[in-house]
Amino acid sequence: MGIKGLSTLIADTCPDAMKEHPIKSYFSRNIAIDASMCMYQFLIGIRGAGIGDLTNEAGEITSHLQGLLSRTIKLLELGIKPVYVFDGKAPDLKSGELDKRKEKLKEAKEELEKAEENGDDEAKNMYFKRTVRVTRDQADEAKKMLKLMGIPVIEAPSEAEAQCAELVKTGKVFATGTEDMDALTFGTSILLRQLTNPEGKVREYNLEKILEGMDITMDQFIDICILCGCDYTDSIKGIGPKKALQYVKKYKDIEGVIKNMPAQHKVPDNFPLERVREIFKQPEVIKGDEVDLKWTEVDEKGLTEFLVTGKKFNETRIANAIDKLRASQKQASQGRLDSFFQVVGKSTSSTLEKNKKAAELAKKKGKKGASSAAAKNKAGSGTKRKREEGSSSSKKLKKE
Amino acid sequence: MLEATLKQGQLLKRIIDSIKELINDANFDCNSSGISLQAMDTAHISLVHLLLRAEAFDPYRCDRTLSLGVNITNFNKILKCASNDDQVTLKANDEGDSISLAFESGKKERYSEFEVKLIEIEADQLGIPDTEYSVLVHMPSAELKRICSDMAILGDTVTITATKEGVKFSASGEIASGSITVRQDASADDEDDNTLIELNEPVSLTFALKYLNIFCKSASLSNRVALSLSKSSPLLVEFKFQENGHIRYYLAPKMENEGEENADDE
Repeated sequence: MGIKGLSTLIADTCPDAMKEHPIKSYFSRNIAIDASMCMYQFLIGIRGAGIGDLTNEAGEITSHLQGLLSRTIKLLELGIKPVYVFDGKAPDLKSGELDKRKEKLKEAKEELEKAEENGDDEAKNMYFKRTVRVTRDQADEAKKMLKLMGIPVIEAPSEAEAQCAELVKTGKVFATGTEDMDALTFGTSILLRQLTNPEGKVREYNLEKILEGMDITMDQFIDICILCGCDYTDSIKGIGPKKALQYVKKYKDIEGVIKNMPAQHKVPDNFPLERVREIFKQPEVIKGDEVDLKWTEVDEKGLTEFLVTGKKFNETRIANAIDKLRASQKQASQGRLDSFFQVVGKSTSSTLEKNKKAAELAKKKGKKGASSAAAKNKAGSGTKRKREEGSSSSKKLKKE
Repeated sequence: MLEATLKQGQLLKRIIDSIKELINDANFDCNSSGISLQAMDTAHISLVHLLLRAEAFDPYRCDRTLSLGVNITNFNKILKCASNDDQVTLKANDEGDSISLAFESGKKERYSEFEVKLIEIEADQLGIPDTEYSVLVHMPSAELKRICSDMAILGDTVTITATKEGVKFSASGEIASGSITVRQDASADDEDDNTLIELNEPVSLTFALKYLNIFCKSASLSNRVALSLSKSSPLLVEFKFQENGHIRYYLAPKMENEGEENADDE
């Protein structure tokens, strides 16, 4: 799934491109969420008692609805306005990847049976997770529920990440929320990971800063992603993320890399480079200006009928959920101050400025300093305590 | 190097105490003309702008621009150790990673010293445009504080409507609804008790009371407050410390007919 090793490559080469922010800071932002990824997480994450699906009396799986319902309410309560984007038809080129996944599914199913026979719970759990797929019916149920909740749902003609990227590019939404890094390859300027945990920090990837930090163009970035390994073609054996970046910078593009790379690397038989680039550059999407995003009032009757009567959800819980949806809609009218005032620059602590300069200097001098600076930046958020040795002993809070 | 002494230490104590609920940490920007701070709350709904001019201090010295990253909660804890009539001295070295605070009691019989560690902050800086506001209201700060806490009994939001008749604060909720109207009055013996309204154009805007009530904690800093309003603009609430500086709060309004339009302008 996604681009192999891209997040590590970013952390190593341009740590400034990833910042952690409290989820609260996305107040009043529209965010396009990759629904398939999200539902998949619920299907493996939300389990009933022991190892088994969360089901209703009739034995129907309800994990995806349960998860989506509570997650969406949490986001709305934080003032975030989600848009769910569902996958359409996979591009033809993905069939290779999909075949592989099918094979893995078959293997996992066999292993799961074995584990069940042997009563090995741990293995059972592990292989179970590998057999989980989001079915068409489950996706349809999710769409139906979201619509009744008044949340905009978009059915992408092809890949959901590509559609999310289009919405970000056209300013319809602020960011894409998915774990899948290829959203960046499709041109999402801001990608949010770990949007799932309402208490935790969100990882914000900034495409512009990635290009700046790696000192490459968008076309080169796409080439690097293809070399790292994407869903649409096999990759060149022996070239990992680091070499991909190094070679593409040196030889400009994949054609140049193939011409100049050492002989031990072989281009795979199936390597339709132009068509893969096409998928990333001109994916099949609904144009942003044709999309009309509307958050409407919850359809109380419809939602109760669907979830309580149809899916046998607890009536009181759904009534509570509807109350919460209503309450969050009230606060949705609060504006953000930075939509009135422009950001004109950064306010940077003198100590941070000093450390940055020192880190840069060290980077020039040798590897040691650079890696420690990278480690520091990896620590994340804008505010962090100093970690320099020696300062802690003398500067401790003291009262005389 | 920064060295600044405030004769009235309680000014700083009250400033920090009133902003601590809004912001967790911020950079104090120090230069030869004084100390300032600009920060938004986490949800980016409001902004604080604090200015303490060099004249507020005696002595004041800052040869090089310094940006001191401070955790407001911790800073507040240390300032709690100062008595109201203590003289407060702030010191920081250009290369240091801490700020030192010294408190000296009025009769000089007690002297306390603290070192507070600085933190590293990188935050967005907003440009605040010079706006000609449609309505400007000068009123006693205690009066605004009372209005906001009264309105909070009724609901979460207050609508401020300024017309020729006066400035009306109204709120409604499940239990009751109500309004308070203030009118121009320049007749009080004490100038501080006057209410002055400058109206160029009538406006009506709605704001979250949670934030207004936090702003009103600054009423202890100044007897007077100024409210500035314009159509679909943030509200400005300003408390002045005589001629020596100010604390300004900006608050984004609630949108009307929100939803669709809202989605498009992002």
